[in-house]
Amino acid sequence: MSHLTKLRYLSMLTLATAGAVGTVAVSFAEEPLKWVPGEVYPAELLKNFPCLDYTLACGKMKSPPVERIEFSGPLEGDAVRGEKIATNLRWGNCIACHVLPTQDGGTIGPTLKGYGAREMPLDYTYQRIWDIRFYNPNAHMPVYGPNKALTDQDVRDVMAYIYSSK
Amino acid sequence: MSVSRKFKLHSCGVLLALATGSASAADAYPKYDFMPGKELAIPHVSGDEKFSNTYRYWKDEEAIAAAKKAGKTSAETNYKDFRWAQKSFDAEGALEIGKQYFNQKNAAGKSCASCHGQDGEKLRGIYANYPAYSKKLKRVVTVGTQIKHCASERLGLDWADDSRPNVLADFYIASLSDGKVINIDATRPGPIKQAYERGRDLFFKRAGHFNFACASCHTPPTVGKRLRSQRPTTFFGDAASYPIYHFPYALAGDDYEYVFTLQHQIKSCHLLSRIYPGAEGSPAMTDIEVFLKASANGYKMSIPGSEYNMDTDYLD
Repeated sequence: MSHLTKLRYLSMLTLATAGAVGTVAVSFAEEPLKWVPGEVYPAELLKNFPCLDYTLACGKMKSPPVERIEFSGPLEGDAVRGEKIATNLRWGNCIACHVLPTQDGGTIGPTLKGYGAREMPLDYTYQRIWDIRFYNPNAHMPVYGPNKALTDQDVRDVMAYIYSSK
Repeated sequence: MSVSRKFKLHSCGVLLALATGSASAADAYPKYDFMPGKELAIPHVSGDEKFSNTYRYWKDEEAIAAAKKAGKTSAETNYKDFRWAQKSFDAEGALEIGKQYFNQKNAAGKSCASCHGQDGEKLRGIYANYPAYSKKLKRVVTVGTQIKHCASERLGLDWADDSRPNVLADFYIASLSDGKVINIDATRPGPIKQAYERGRDLFFKRAGHFNFACASCHTPPTVGKRLRSQRPTTFFGDAASYPIYHFPYALAGDDYEYVFTLQHQIKSCHLLSRIYPGAEGSPAMTDIEVFLKASANGYKMSIPGSEYNMDTDYLD
């Protein structure tokens, strides 16, 4: 799971001179392939997660371990950035399933309009976003934290955004 | 940093699964690796009763007409009211190109039509029984894989599963089975039943960056709801409309006149849900197609259909 860099065999230089035994030099060039949130997830990097195949290594991978995180605040989140994360198809994409405080969205998950007024504990909300499987293993929601789809700060920002909706 | 503690509970999950599950092989996996419901799937279109329970609204043309007349919305009928029931006139051009590939002669003057008939008459109806076991290739194959091998062996043509000639010829061949009732025998012990079961397990297996399974979108409670602007539906019956005319959406680099085979659709779904896309025609992808096609058993093929149409009733 941690192979976030791609090793590329750039060249195999065979230095063969007349009458001499050839020497082989292998040069490794490290070209980090990184997902930039907000952009398409590089297909190559998806091999780091379980896939549906019988021969590729990812076909034998399991779901990541469930992560329980106890969050005690303070929130310290940026609601404006949180809205960007929540509405971006190539980032958090919360809008796909949830109606958001400031935008219409999908109807699969509960609406998040007026979320702040519900006075849900911070720890509960953080855990639901980070790894919902702690509460419901069968939830139809991405596993944001363990798979590094959102960082700790990203989760705080999204929380600041939805808690701001009274 | 106020994230005070972090626990990993995976091994706990394994124990839970072992403690609560039965002794079947699938339970050797932690419960976190599968979406629930695979034990409810049956190889027939009516299996939807155990999922969205809307089958009675779309089991045939009359049922769909009656549901509409009764004021059922598209969402209430699991979004099955338009795709299968409506033919696409826009797809005729792509079908025509597919027919040209079917009749395209190689250097020796041979074409698919040389063996299968000028209008493909010997292939009428076959699409309703594919994927099928190929004795020659010793595995279950899609029509696309069959075309690839036939073109290579008999015509000396390189028509890969995801190449333009293959996909469009595939579309044309599928149209020769329009109206034929799908029958994939996934109940008799044999390679098809095994492929169905493997495909079913893959369909419910969680994968990718988001840890989604195909079932995350295509089983309740997601079906019948709005997934952003999309209309997720159960996995029953839809294979009857594939290959499908997918205008205006295509993957980067596609040159299939907006035709999506079922293989291409599965690949597209993978990419959209951040799962490493399988190779079209690969054994795993073929197994998923067997599962989907068998989940349309008893339903009539409907080709050419359209993935998107101008019917916006679902917005109501």
